[in-house]
Amino acid sequence: MNTQNMEQALPQQEQQKIKVEHAQATVRAFFIDTFLWAYTLLVLHKIVYEKMIMNFRYPEFSWMQPAYALGAGLALSVAFFFTRLSVGKAMNGLYSVREDRTLFKEPFLQLGLFQLLLTFVAGIHISQVSMTEFLSSSGLSGARRIFTALFNPNWNIFEDALFAAIETIYMAFIATTLAIPAAFLLGFFAARNLMSSSSVLFALYSLTRFFLNLTRSIEPLVWAIIFSVWVGIGPFSGMLALFLHSVASLAKLYSEQIENIDNGPIEAITATGAHPIQVIWFGVVPQIVLPYLSFTIYRWDINVRMATVIGLVGGGGIGTMLMQYQGLAKWNEVGMLVIVIATIVWIMDYASSKIRAALK
Amino acid sequence: MLEVNQLNKVYPNGTHALKGVSLNVQPGEFLVIIGLSGSGKSTLLRCINALHEATSGSINFEGQEVTELRGKQIRNVRSRIGMIFQHFNLIPRKTVMTNVLSGTLSKTGVFKSILGIFPEAEKERAKKYIGIVGLKGKENARADNLSGGQQQRVAIARALMQNPKVLLADEPVASLDPATSHSVMQYLKKVNEELGVTVICNLHFLSLVREYASRVIALKDGKMIYEGGPSEIDEQWFQTIYGEEAVEVTIN
Repeated sequence: MNTQNMEQALPQQEQQKIKVEHAQATVRAFFIDTFLWAYTLLVLHKIVYEKMIMNFRYPEFSWMQPAYALGAGLALSVAFFFTRLSVGKAMNGLYSVREDRTLFKEPFLQLGLFQLLLTFVAGIHISQVSMTEFLSSSGLSGARRIFTALFNPNWNIFEDALFAAIETIYMAFIATTLAIPAAFLLGFFAARNLMSSSSVLFALYSLTRFFLNLTRSIEPLVWAIIFSVWVGIGPFSGMLALFLHSVASLAKLYSEQIENIDNGPIEAITATGAHPIQVIWFGVVPQIVLPYLSFTIYRWDINVRMATVIGLVGGGGIGTMLMQYQGLAKWNEVGMLVIVIATIVWIMDYASSKIRAALK
Repeated sequence: MLEVNQLNKVYPNGTHALKGVSLNVQPGEFLVIIGLSGSGKSTLLRCINALHEATSGSINFEGQEVTELRGKQIRNVRSRIGMIFQHFNLIPRKTVMTNVLSGTLSKTGVFKSILGIFPEAEKERAKKYIGIVGLKGKENARADNLSGGQQQRVAIARALMQNPKVLLADEPVASLDPATSHSVMQYLKKVNEELGVTVICNLHFLSLVREYASRVIALKDGKMIYEGGPSEIDEQWFQTIYGEEAVEVTIN
């Protein structure tokens, strides 16, 4: 056969591969340089010069400015690409290490640190960090007012708060419980090791993954807003939002657990001539039951916390109550609610960590 | 009963694991396959019960062409071939009884098996085989709490539940200590001689080969380079099979 030819061809292939990888890294480095230079120029001009030095209230903006910055960035990155002032080349490992110099004397590191510092300064400015407002007398008296109110909770609403909290816990529980069967099924479809045996299965896997990622990338807060319009404000919309997010998160965790299992039992059960469903039930399921339980309890814990936040946008429960009293500036009542929420979260956190530790 | 002809296996990554292997297995023999790691021993066993799909060539088992079967027919062939593994591959967290009963899954309905309903007769057989491999009284112990040798014996009992014509053993003692190795090999010998099950076994240690095999074949780089009796493997053959620098290690 042509084994000899192949042996000669291999080193050449390797060389070719190294060349291609080097070219790719160089192109990447060049793009990174151009972007970083353009970013540096833009921040220096728009924020440091116009906002901080000249103090313009409404600096003019046109899309030509970033375009110019990009052009100038391109020129600068070309100019410095063959010196040791290219952050992109450093990031792609294209510089040889110089033993005689410490890293901090390397121009590319100094440039990189300068860009980091610039971002920090611009960030402080944009976040409107202001010590004068933090410590102003009117501000401090406001803080004193709210803290005294918070520490003097209105116990008259304790019962209402408790009922609302119970609503929140049940809502989180139902959202988690209903999510389990859906996530259990989807978890198998989203597990690469079970789904890569044929192209049809792999397409199904990709589709499942896509929808799970899509659902997960939309925060439950946003889902709650959507459902509060759909089914009306109240615990049902909050439950639906948590349910959807739980399905996506649990299915992902479940599928990762399936991907990490030992292949041996699967092989052994297959070898007995068992049906594929039996292979999953006897070869896969016993390996994943405990981690699944652990994930699910943790999810319930998370859902109780999230249910509080979701209540703020109309998802019912103690969050909605909090929002109402906050809107009326009734800080003593808010103080009561904060105590109830903190207690629940603490208990849930404690209980769930204890249960999960016992499961291991 | 089992005829392998010009079997080739190329893995998707390009590894040519088996190159034109042909062999004929007679009923009742204890055939041992030796060779270095990566010589294709495990691949050969897994092609026989279609855990791996052969690339070309034929495998004839009791008059059926294994390479041409699909779905239900493959499961039917597998149910008549038992298999045990280097790492035992028992179901973790399940009892010895459940593990042994899983050998009858091909005969049990999907729904019933999921509910854990197995016929009384099968349970009786399971108990019998647990006794045969010397684990009487351990029926309700968790399989992953047993020692390595005991786990391998549970695996043998599971394979016996299939009433197999052939038992494939993929390095059954490679992760066991010497004393336990002999005990497990003794059980395989018992299965072979008393129950009349044909055994095809991958082994590393020549001392075990000489003691248990009725016939030996050797693989090297996917090709069959030796076929004969266990006592005919001398120093020269040993070095051909395992390479010039190999030194024989014995276990007693």
